[in-house]
Amino acid sequence: MIRTALLVAAKDLRIERHSRVLLWQVLPFGVMGLVLSGIALGPTHAGHSSAGPGLFYLVMLLVTLLMINRSQAIEGSSGTRASVATLGLDPAGVFLGKALALAVELWITGVVLLAGAVLVLHTALVGTLQALPSVVLILAALAAAGTLYGALSGGGQGPATLLPILALPAFAPLLIAGERSFSASLHGATLWQWWVISLVALAAYLAIGILLYGVLEDS
Amino acid sequence: MKQLSLRLLGPLTLVLMGLTFWLGLWVTPPDKIQGNLARLVYVHPAVAWVALYVSFGTATIASALYLWRRTRSQVMDRVAHCAMEVSVVFILLTLITGSIWGRPTWGVWWAWDARLTSTAILGVFALAYLALRRANDDPDLRARRSAVFALLAAINVPIIHFSVQWWKTLHQGATVFTANRTLLIHGLMAWTLLISFFAFTLLFFWLLRARYRLEVLRGERYQVVLDEALVQRRREGVR
Amino acid sequence: MPDADAFDLTPVPAPPSKRRGRRRTIGVLVVLVLAVLALLSQGLLHSLNYFETIDQAMSARTTLGTSTIRLEGVVKPHTINRTSSGASFWMTGGKDEEVFVNAHGSPPQLFQASIPVVVVGHFTSSTSDRFDGTQILVKHTASYIAAHPKRVKAPNGTTR
Repeated sequence: MIRTALLVAAKDLRIERHSRVLLWQVLPFGVMGLVLSGIALGPTHAGHSSAGPGLFYLVMLLVTLLMINRSQAIEGSSGTRASVATLGLDPAGVFLGKALALAVELWITGVVLLAGAVLVLHTALVGTLQALPSVVLILAALAAAGTLYGALSGGGQGPATLLPILALPAFAPLLIAGERSFSASLHGATLWQWWVISLVALAAYLAIGILLYGVLEDS
Repeated sequence: MKQLSLRLLGPLTLVLMGLTFWLGLWVTPPDKIQGNLARLVYVHPAVAWVALYVSFGTATIASALYLWRRTRSQVMDRVAHCAMEVSVVFILLTLITGSIWGRPTWGVWWAWDARLTSTAILGVFALAYLALRRANDDPDLRARRSAVFALLAAINVPIIHFSVQWWKTLHQGATVFTANRTLLIHGLMAWTLLISFFAFTLLFFWLLRARYRLEVLRGERYQVVLDEALVQRRREGVR
Repeated sequence: MPDADAFDLTPVPAPPSKRRGRRRTIGVLVVLVLAVLALLSQGLLHSLNYFETIDQAMSARTTLGTSTIRLEGVVKPHTINRTSSGASFWMTGGKDEEVFVNAHGSPPQLFQASIPVVVVGHFTSSTSDRFDGTQILVKHTASYIAAHPKRVKAPNGTTR
């Protein structure tokens, strides 16, 4: 299972490195999202609002939806699914690999957008750096959940509008946990509880994905 | 016996619903604090009970039974689908009646406390389930994916149930299923509340039965239409 | 003509994956159960509370400062003063801590003495026990008690 996961993750990341979709499309989209958040808050509140953490995670959720579609679309190109099925790869390993690749991409995007949050939304630098571990955990949980819901929505072959309505209700608790932990770090409050909650969510989604991913693939 | 009980389901539901409304609106006394506003206690908790446990529970159990090979059948898939559709209606009613009650009592139509928020999220999950079903043509794939999604969505139900115990919420705690098993409603008010739970539960099964029959008819009609289309195409080929 | 022996099409029995699948399922279920227990056992979720009680707020005064919070307490009897812009009253907590609330905006219909309320607002300073409220929400309890349990009979025989 682990070997399959590493193979699949390496494959996805290699494709990403060649196509540069993350660099030229997703990152600019994320940065634009932060800028639009600042504009929406208005000049009076943009630099002083406590909404910074929530807006960061809201933009990350939208980025995650884009990346999930991208991750599933890689499998959707002609003949890929049939080839993977005939290889007899362990579905749990495929799930872990795709989740790992998606997590790496989200971490890269998250770091860039955290820098953006400091610049555009004026979140405190020290507090933002302290939030980094919880951001890493939350984004990993989003990647695991997103890979599962991506497969549920048809793996890139279903309508593009289906994924958001399936995934966003499930992402809501992660959004809450992320916003609260980021805010807590900005105010110097204790964070270990949020790390534990994030770790629990990550473990739960990984467990569910390992158990059920194979059921979701075409028979 | 089964036919008799199915025939009696509708009339019995109507009788109990009528009894609930008569008792709730006219016979039971007003509450000491809330006055006549408290009469919504004979509607809102029963509707919420059906939404969360009876209908969503039916959909979840049917989905689990579909995923388990020994009990996998089209019946289970249809029951899960129909129960989830009815669940959407009841979740919506829960939120609406709760809102109507909240405005004069709390002072707001809506509050972002744990119970209300998690119930709203459950409603979105139920709508997402229906969207997922429409997105797949292959019956087996549709059934499997829907079943998995229903199980994932069901994680929300215990969160909603325990929300008033785990967190400090604006929404009141349990009146009947309290942590220390104390009943916080008595006399005719308690009996009317009990009748309302039975009435709305029977209403759910009445609606489920009707919806299930519609689903069966839809499937049969699709097969008839398909057969006719095939006959027509063959005739064209012969000419 | 290719050699028939070069193509061995004898069906190969499937690998014994059923036992591995069952062990994995059990392992996954154990992880899920542990995850739920971890969440419940440590009271990790209290940060999602809708409001702070007076006792919690008073013990966290320096952290809270004048930031906007939701404060919960019980309206002290004989302290309500309704003004044109709202109402002022004293609110008590579980450990007899008290806060004076000056709330703007008309209170809800059920607002009265001895009822639990949640007030949205902020303390006027880091050390003051005065709370400026922008909204009052009534938190009614889960008890339902009949009004007029002993019905009064009017002279004409009807009950009220």
